[in-house]
Amino acid sequence: MNASSYLKHRKIKSSEDTKNVIQIALIAIVLMVIAAILSKGVFLQPRNLMNLIFQNGILILIALAQLLVIIVSGIDLSVGAIMAMSSILIVLYQDAGSGAAILIALGASMVFGAVSGSLVTFKRLPSFVVTLAMMQIVYSLAQVLSGGAAVYSGFQGATISEGFTTYYLGSVMGIPNVILTCIIVIILVSRFLRTSYGHFAYAIGGNEKTAYFSGIPVERVKVTVYILAALLAGLAAVIFVGRVGMGDPRAGQWLPLDSIAAVTIGGASLSGGVGSVAGTVIGVLILGTLTNIMNLMGVPPTIQPAVKGIVIILAVYLNSRKKN
Amino acid sequence: MDLAKRMKDAGTWISNRSGPIALAVLLFYGFFFVGNFSTETNLTAILLQYSIIGCLALGQLIVILTGGIDLSQGSQIALATVVCAVVMSRFGVIPGIIMALLIPTMVGFSTGLLVSRLKMPAFIVTLGMLGVSRGLAMRIANARPVSINIDGFKQFGYATLLRIPVAAIIFGIAAILVLYLLKKRKLGRYLYAVGSSEESTRLSGVNIMKVKLFAYTASGFLTAVGGVLLAARLGSGSPIGGSGYELESIAAVVVGGGSLFGGIGGVGGTVSGVFLFGVINSILNLTGIPPFWQGTMKGLIILAAVALSQMRKKSRNGA
Repeated sequence: MNASSYLKHRKIKSSEDTKNVIQIALIAIVLMVIAAILSKGVFLQPRNLMNLIFQNGILILIALAQLLVIIVSGIDLSVGAIMAMSSILIVLYQDAGSGAAILIALGASMVFGAVSGSLVTFKRLPSFVVTLAMMQIVYSLAQVLSGGAAVYSGFQGATISEGFTTYYLGSVMGIPNVILTCIIVIILVSRFLRTSYGHFAYAIGGNEKTAYFSGIPVERVKVTVYILAALLAGLAAVIFVGRVGMGDPRAGQWLPLDSIAAVTIGGASLSGGVGSVAGTVIGVLILGTLTNIMNLMGVPPTIQPAVKGIVIILAVYLNSRKKN
Repeated sequence: MDLAKRMKDAGTWISNRSGPIALAVLLFYGFFFVGNFSTETNLTAILLQYSIIGCLALGQLIVILTGGIDLSQGSQIALATVVCAVVMSRFGVIPGIIMALLIPTMVGFSTGLLVSRLKMPAFIVTLGMLGVSRGLAMRIANARPVSINIDGFKQFGYATLLRIPVAAIIFGIAAILVLYLLKKRKLGRYLYAVGSSEESTRLSGVNIMKVKLFAYTASGFLTAVGGVLLAARLGSGSPIGGSGYELESIAAVVVGGGSLFGGIGGVGGTVSGVFLFGVINSILNLTGIPPFWQGTMKGLIILAAVALSQMRKKSRNGA
């Protein structure tokens, strides 16, 4: 199978993906109905649904980053660290203006992604270990830069631009900016997955050797995917800075595992080659709805991680049983 | 040519023992060039702290050998300390220790059931169990640290026997038992076999379900042992403690030459991996390098270790 016939094959396969997504969506709908009943309808009000996306904006971006890496049968434990580093850089370079600061932060994020991607691709090191090491390194560099504590102002003392808060709280035509950002990123990522590079990514995740012998530029695609994932993680820091008004060298420690959970609940396989944007977004929403339901039912926050854990196992069990 | 071959053999010999050799080099550096490194206080501190992570790493090793992974260790150690503290203050020391050992073992057993019977990916199951154990620990402790008021038990956390911390002795015994299991028992060899090729192991008539079930249960038990030691050292049960320990234990196994694809790894490497991190942290602290750099050092060591083991694999394939 060469690269172009693979693309045709991929189109047939995408109908399977649609079925997959529908099943996950069903789980999400059931959960939402439960939430609606428990909250006597409040849950389904547009404002509440918007809140759900709003609160999970960061996780949506990070989960999409994770999805890209998981599709090429990797895993990225450094997403949280890269977001933390990016938040530090955004704040520290405020003297140069917010735009420049964001560009610097995104550039640095992409460099980290490129390093992980190259080590995984060219040196053939396992992505789990590489990104685990990268996570340690990036968190530690973020602490070196910030002196170990949260930062509120730039190197030369410029305070964080009002723009971040305005962006975070603002909206265009009634749709909050955070949600708009998520929608744009969702569209861009699904566009990317429909380009030839995207299809190649699925092929590599399915079987790297076959992909290579089909003439797919495996190395270029893999490195690109890691860079894009890091870029998304860096971008999430913009929302983060808008929300908390600081750069935090310890931010996002729960993000790697939560994003992996969301992606796998969304039907992706950790062995690669399977997974969709829609599924991933629904996966994030399922986790978010679950928290909402538990709060509505008055489940004490202490036991909530346990329920979440059981739901992760159940969701993946249902998915895997269907495949067998 | 003979010389070239001998050089190559020496190279393989060294790269196969990279973990212990790196540890020996660092220890040498520490003893002779870093003031206060060789003091009894410092060495005891390293042993006390890293014996606990060592117990986790032994469990992680057993799981990784089968090609699995255990992400729930960090939460399980928190669960163990909390159970230990709560039961101990009501029913006494012995029931406390027994329950603290029992509950994570049971969590590990159920992980094993899910992974082996339902053929679910270990990564997801243990990720779920990470949540379950953390939730249980938080619920039991009501999200607050539970203090232990039994002095004898707290002293046990710092006790020494012939100037060696008891915690380190317990870890040593555990390491020897795991070594014996892996080298001399059939079950231990099966662990390697399952990790190398599950299918051919199954076809040769090994009950791989039992092997996997054992691996996760053992990981739960060894984590629990670490939990009891941690509870004794802290003098309390901490429901938020231990987060990230699972990554430390995985790093130790990998730095010790273990492969996340299964089938490769050993006790010697793992133990040296554990103390490699301990010694480096200690040297960095004593030489006054800001603690923020520790993560960078750690990360670079992990990368160097995997790169080395990758080279080893390549040379083995080439031979």
